[in-house]
Amino acid sequence: MRIGKVIGTVTLSRRHPSLAGAQYRMVVPLSLDDLTCDEEPRAEAIVVFDELGAGYGCRIAISEGGEAAQPFYPELKPVDAYNAAILDNVSIVK
Amino acid sequence: MQVGTVVGTATSTVKHASMEGWKLLVVQPMLAGGTTPDGDPVLVVDALGAGTGQEVMISSDGKGTRELLGVEATPVRWSVVGIKD
Repeated sequence: MRIGKVIGTVTLSRRHPSLAGAQYRMVVPLSLDDLTCDEEPRAEAIVVFDELGAGYGCRIAISEGGEAAQPFYPELKPVDAYNAAILDNVSIVK
Repeated sequence: MQVGTVVGTATSTVKHASMEGWKLLVVQPMLAGGTTPDGDPVLVVDALGAGTGQEVMISSDGKGTRELLGVEATPVRWSVVGIKD
């Protein structure tokens, strides 16, 4: 799970039937530099399947790969980025 | 498994039910030498009580973490499997 910052939202017009019932956020994964000196993150944004309702600017835990589809076990969903948690506080000691 | 340095902790109230009660560490994975960072920091479930600044061994075995948490449907992948002396 990586830490990501929500920079926007994505609405779907046509979708796979199993992808219903959730919101989709544009999230940019944060590197250690982004976390410590809070500059504008430069990584590539990814679309995250969000059931927790993360707002704009929130920091979330992005679960990626096989573990992103694991919460729907045994049901199968074509999801590879999932919002596992909305982080209240990330304290970094440099 | 990978060597990493604990750079901080993270707290969350709104989260996946399987993560309830587990300590979340922010670990910067390192290359084998233990000095050069390798990629973005990751959130790791900690059962061994590693503190900030310590060097730990983290495992990306989702199956092992699912057994650790005792929940099959969990989005967590990384878990602390060792603390380096």
